[in-house]
Amino acid sequence: MAAPNGTAEAPIEVSAIPTVVGINFGNSYASIAVLTKEGSAECIANEDGERQIACAVAFFGEEMYVGNQAKHQLVKNSQNTITGFRNLLGKKFSDIPKDRPTASAPVIQHPDHPDEPAYKVQILQAAPTPLPTTASNTPAASQAATPRSEPTPAERILTVSEVTSIFLKSLVQSAEDFLGKKVQGAVISIPAWFNEAQRAALEKAAADAGIKVLQLLEEAGAAAVTATSNASAQGISADRTQLIVDLGSSALELSLLSIRDGLAHSLATLSDPGVGGDAIDDKLIKYFAKEFTKKTKTPLAVAPAADAQDRRAEAKLRLAVEHTKRTISASPGAATCAVESLKDGLDYTGSINRLRFDMEARSVYERVYAKVQELVAAAGLDLYDVDEIVYVGGSASLPGLDEHLAQGFTESIATPFTAGTVVGGGEGDPTTILARGCALQAKLLALLAEETEEEREVKSAFAYGSKWQQAKATNKTIGMLFPEENAEGPLGGQWIPVVLRETVVPARRTVSFEVDLGESEEKKVGFEVWEAKEGVKIEKIKPPRDEEEEEEEEEEDIEVKEKTVEKESLLASLTLAAKEASQKNGRWTTKLEVQFVVDAEGKLSVTAWEVGKNGRGEQASVAVGPA
Amino acid sequence: MANVVELPVVPPPLPKSWSPAESTAKTISPLVERRLLPAGPAYLAHVKRAVHKLTFEEHDKHVEEERKRLEALNGNGANGQDDLGVGEEEEPEELLALDAKEWKKQDHYAVLGLSHLRYKATEDQIRIAHRKKVLKHHPDKKAGLAGDSNDDSFFKCIQKAFEVLINPERRRQFDSVDPYFELLEEDVPTASQITKAKDPNAAFFKLFAPVFEREARFSRKQPVPMLGTYEESKETVEAFYDFWYNFDSWRSYEYLDKEVNEGSDNRDDKRYTEKKNKSERARRKKEDIARLRGIVDLALSLDPRIKRIKQEEKEAREAKKKSKGGPAAVNGAKNEEEEKRKAEEEARRKEEEEKIARAEAKKAKAAAANAAKKARRAARAADGDA
Repeated sequence: MAAPNGTAEAPIEVSAIPTVVGINFGNSYASIAVLTKEGSAECIANEDGERQIACAVAFFGEEMYVGNQAKHQLVKNSQNTITGFRNLLGKKFSDIPKDRPTASAPVIQHPDHPDEPAYKVQILQAAPTPLPTTASNTPAASQAATPRSEPTPAERILTVSEVTSIFLKSLVQSAEDFLGKKVQGAVISIPAWFNEAQRAALEKAAADAGIKVLQLLEEAGAAAVTATSNASAQGISADRTQLIVDLGSSALELSLLSIRDGLAHSLATLSDPGVGGDAIDDKLIKYFAKEFTKKTKTPLAVAPAADAQDRRAEAKLRLAVEHTKRTISASPGAATCAVESLKDGLDYTGSINRLRFDMEARSVYERVYAKVQELVAAAGLDLYDVDEIVYVGGSASLPGLDEHLAQGFTESIATPFTAGTVVGGGEGDPTTILARGCALQAKLLALLAEETEEEREVKSAFAYGSKWQQAKATNKTIGMLFPEENAEGPLGGQWIPVVLRETVVPARRTVSFEVDLGESEEKKVGFEVWEAKEGVKIEKIKPPRDEEEEEEEEEEDIEVKEKTVEKESLLASLTLAAKEASQKNGRWTTKLEVQFVVDAEGKLSVTAWEVGKNGRGEQASVAVGPA
Repeated sequence: MANVVELPVVPPPLPKSWSPAESTAKTISPLVERRLLPAGPAYLAHVKRAVHKLTFEEHDKHVEEERKRLEALNGNGANGQDDLGVGEEEEPEELLALDAKEWKKQDHYAVLGLSHLRYKATEDQIRIAHRKKVLKHHPDKKAGLAGDSNDDSFFKCIQKAFEVLINPERRRQFDSVDPYFELLEEDVPTASQITKAKDPNAAFFKLFAPVFEREARFSRKQPVPMLGTYEESKETVEAFYDFWYNFDSWRSYEYLDKEVNEGSDNRDDKRYTEKKNKSERARRKKEDIARLRGIVDLALSLDPRIKRIKQEEKEAREAKKKSKGGPAAVNGAKNEEEEKRKAEEEARRKEEEEKIARAEAKKAKAAAANAAKKARRAARAADGDA
């Protein structure tokens, strides 16, 4: 049969969404994010239904456990359970502090490679294959001793890189199971303090696991990607100073970013390995242990635990308080902690409410607050200069932390808690923010073309230490001043900041607004372009005296902060005749659009248009700076 | 387009006394060095601008082009799934009001929303189109809607259409009598249309090309030679007409058979209907062959290429005839004479040259002989002296 049917041309192939993943690889927990059909990123659960995957690998007999299952091995099989391996990547054995007590497999010197850290675990090797047989299926003559038929106990030495490979492989496997497709590439998050050797070690471990690493992205960058991916929806300006509080389980990392129209650079970073979820855990464990002793009259000393029994009790409690913390973060009520056979065969069930919890965790919160102040001061700014806080990490999901921190900032500060995006895995969910940022970054990188020299150059700009990352930023805020008769304050008019300080050049900002032209017939718009110094004025005022509680009240001044603007230098002025003005209630108004462009050399050009019904009208422009 | 930030502020009117003041600074304050975080689309845009050395306006243009390109690419599968170009088609009122009992009269392609593809639709496309229509018109979806919720007439039409089109044999039968093409078939160009046209040559190709393209789908032999252009060679044109006069069509008319009345058990009745159907099919087929032959005849009679070929052949014949006698022969004789004369002259010149050469050679020989004699004499004299 000849085939006139079925000859329509095939439609164009559209590569919809690349199969790439974002991996947040923390020291204690990791998470994976994939791209959804709509192109947004979503954190996925692994096969255990866990979004926060514990960075742990455990060996028990012939089995190997990875993730949260491995964490449970810490109770009975801690010597064969490996945790906290990420921070050892790329480090020499001699660099690792040995004095810290660990609950997991100890770090040892690798027997073959000099100065390389490794883990030694006890495993059971699978039974070897039986002796070779002859054609008649009888054992062939052999000098070798008859092999054992059951698995043999053996020692296995694993380098940090190997452990990382095993772990990353399991993460990617989870993602592949979820997607049903091979993962083509991944972006992995790293802390800002990772040096060249550590980056290289992680990249090698990922390559061993068969993962194509598109980029190792600094955690602050990943957070910024997520935070800027829908900035307009949140109603915050695209130019803002963002504080990233990353309170993981083992460390606190703070970054102060200047985000200008999506372009981010770091103003200051700070990391403190002493603060974290583990510190909160310690407090909670102590609290519950005390409660336990009160209830059962059984002595229990934890953190640090004295004997083996107490140590095991501590490990059990440590696993249980994880759940308590999550409950506290998610709901306003009390959270329970239940452990079966905590000590001497006695079960324990106790509860803690949010107030009590915050009291226990207060010292941690305070330390975070102190570090935040230290960080902002290091950047030469004030807490009032911060426009937005982004929380990252499991411990940062605690509402108490936000409440504690918020006291120092302006009232208008945007946090995921005020925006209500934390609960239910929303946009600002601190536990998934990094993985999602990495996934979005992976999508961006996977779609980059690589055909021409220039396109390859663009791609290379995402590598570590690329020269394109060096940029220049403005030092002072540039804005417009609309002079006003009888204006209040020292400015003498209305100030509209346009190009904020710490804006990377070349930069372009376009603003549009209505202008009041008054009642006169001479319709003219004019404004001055100033460079200004922004600051924060701190005034100390006496607290208002409360008559009744006078005796107990301590006399302390209250600090009142106020943002200030000081004119520094007049750069130019611009006037424009308004032709498209419309009259309303006797006053003329018109719409103005002003564009500021600062080029790479710092030359500023200001262009203003009047926007009428037929689009942009005549333009007036002025340039300042080296020609 | 640049990101325009709408500000909620309304600046006050300009004071009367204000006049542009002298600027107090020539440049903005010195820039500071910063290290960017290589993350996010904004960084990509920044690097692109730097690497390609683009201004903001040029970059805007690039971004806009890229967006348009992607939009065009994604246009077909707007819902993210590849629908093999089936797309959405409008469903006019008449189509939705079709009666499933009259399924033989419906346009199955239109019912499935494939009227832009028709006989070209692949099996996969038919399946996709059917699935789309079913999802839209399934009676379960209509439950709870206003009106008669039991009205599943169009759904039945869809099922019927799918039944017909998914079976290759039945689809072929339907394709043979596709109502869309039936209408077109009646519209065959006439002789007067072409001869009366301003440019009969162009009109012929313009009017006949689609006719042959349309008919080509019935051929068992593929590919089918098409009408082509005026410049086609004699062989191609002959092959074209040869093919079309021996056209092997798969077109058949089972689809138009009268239904055998299933209700009656009368065997004679059935046989009678079958016999009638058979003769009817044969008659239609004959008519169709005659119709196609008529078209080819008409095309042949009007084909400007045939005229051109005949003209060329005639010219060639005449040229041949003329070459045997007449002015062309006279001319040839003249040429020959001239050539002869030239050759003779050449020969004569050569002879003379040779004569001269021979004479000279003789002289030289004689001179040489004399010289030798002299030398011998001198030698003898010298001997005598000695």
